[in-house]
Amino acid sequence: MPLAQLLASTLLLGGIYALIAVGLTLIFGVMRVVNFAHGEFLMLGMYLAFWAFSLLHADPYLTLVVSLPLFFVLGWVSYGAVMRPVVHTSHNVQVFTTVGLSIVLQNVALVLWTADARFLRTDYYAAAVRVAGAVFNWAQLVAFAVAVLLTAGLFAFMRWTYTGKVMRATAQDRQAAALMGIDTNRVYAITWAVGIVCVGAAGVLLAPIYPVYPTAGLQFVLIAYVSVVLGGLGDMAGALIAAVVVAAVEVIGSYVIGTAWKEVLYLLLFIGILVVRPAGLFGQRGAEALGS
Amino acid sequence: MRRGAPAVVFFVVAGLVPLFVRDAFLLDALVFILIWGASAAAWNVAGGYAGQVSLGHSAFFGVGAYAAALLATRWQVSPWLGLVVGALVATIVGLVIGYLSNRLRGPYFVLATIAFSQVLLIVGSRWRGFTAGSEGIPVPFRPGFWTLGIADKRVWVWIVLALAVIIYLVELYLEGSRRGYQLAAVREDEDAALSLGVPARALKVAAITVSAALTAVCGALWAQYVGFVDPFYVFSVDLSVRFALAAIIGGLGTALGPFLGSLLVTTLETYLRAQFGGIGAGLIGIYLIIYGVILILVVRFVPEGLTGWLATRVARRAATGAG
Repeated sequence: MPLAQLLASTLLLGGIYALIAVGLTLIFGVMRVVNFAHGEFLMLGMYLAFWAFSLLHADPYLTLVVSLPLFFVLGWVSYGAVMRPVVHTSHNVQVFTTVGLSIVLQNVALVLWTADARFLRTDYYAAAVRVAGAVFNWAQLVAFAVAVLLTAGLFAFMRWTYTGKVMRATAQDRQAAALMGIDTNRVYAITWAVGIVCVGAAGVLLAPIYPVYPTAGLQFVLIAYVSVVLGGLGDMAGALIAAVVVAAVEVIGSYVIGTAWKEVLYLLLFIGILVVRPAGLFGQRGAEALGS
Repeated sequence: MRRGAPAVVFFVVAGLVPLFVRDAFLLDALVFILIWGASAAAWNVAGGYAGQVSLGHSAFFGVGAYAAALLATRWQVSPWLGLVVGALVATIVGLVIGYLSNRLRGPYFVLATIAFSQVLLIVGSRWRGFTAGSEGIPVPFRPGFWTLGIADKRVWVWIVLALAVIIYLVELYLEGSRRGYQLAAVREDEDAALSLGVPARALKVAAITVSAALTAVCGALWAQYVGFVDPFYVFSVDLSVRFALAAIIGGLGTALGPFLGSLLVTTLETYLRAQFGGIGAGLIGIYLIIYGVILILVVRFVPEGLTGWLATRVARRAATGAG
């Protein structure tokens, strides 16, 4: 495999990982909650695309447009029902609340749609473009482009809108933000919902590429955890770079030592980072959870 | 001694059941209640008493299960020795994990433990030459006590009961000893404990290590009882959650709590499996949905768990009765 192809694959994979990781890190940055149910929302996104395609013959990229408001509502509701009461409690309570949510969502999918792996096959599934000696899969290319667009949109939202500023203020110091008259509860709800929108969109984008089943979220969310910790929990720009790094490790690892062991590589990278520099490569955020 | 009375009742009743009950289904349920209770109690040593909440304990359980199964299939060694070897390997793994991750707190620690168990899952399912890979290992059944080839479920109840009592005693030690108090201090406020000269890091590593070894013993016995080791089950995050769940429902950092939690959860599971098992495998998920909802509700409304809730009830009644 030539260098160009490795680079291309890294970039395509990294773009999608980034979208998953950005939502996770946003939620952590503002709410100080690690969302262990993140992968299940990804899975729901995949199922949404699958059912829209097989029942309504809707193109997954059309579904995407519907999925954004849909997942915002889903996020808003799940925040109100499950997360709101535990935002100010201990880490353990939060961890097990999101774990419980993940178990529930996973098994709702299992009961409704069985454990069978399903495949969403568009007519352009195998279509590919060849640029500069590298082959770009069409579905991957579109997924990458949309993921980058959404991520850029999120960054712009955080940077330039009032709500984004309020979210960043809450992330920096929730008490000071509350004292400035910011309704932090509303900020948390929006943050959670926006994070869910990101991962739901990622799910829709991944559905045409990967098999869809109730536990499909796990493999991607593990990668997101790695990226998020690598970039510094809560650091959005860091997560973006880290997602590409993780994708590079995966792509180069699969090429050099084979696909069977590629997960071990990024898990070891993850453990290494946690042990050596748990604040991440770039950030200092979340340092209060680290002890010394 | 009054504090330990419910535990004595629990274990004595469990020990007497096989004398009166012959029904294989009920005995089977009891074996699982005790195995999952013992595993949750072993988890509790780290998660409850030391505050090292792990979602990677399936790593140790799996190591124990694999040690017993591999020694029995590859070298025809008695599973009792496999159990010891499993405990030793898990001790080493626990030392490594405990040492590497002991600076981490809260969600970071949870993530690190998940990562470790995932590494073992990949090793277990991909290292075909050694572990038989993703097909898993059927554990051979060789009749006899020394080979743990016991068809009589009553004997199994007593074997796992013995293990449960041993782990319960370890928990009791942590409730009444100097080390136990130090560990509680570390859990509640590590910096304060350190400033008083409590060797916080060493204690945390020790707690993880002991917890790991005990969990591995549970895994080894489980493998012998069930007769099949599947890497995707024994190293799964779901299994780790199961240990934590029973301990949390029963009461974090209480000696009997994990057993009560397991009694509740395992009974519910057995009942619902019997109800829905025949209709379609997908309906098994209903049990897990209930399980997730219980988890969310318990941590929100009764974070002190069943034992804590009962204790306050009893105390309140005693107080009103006296007044």
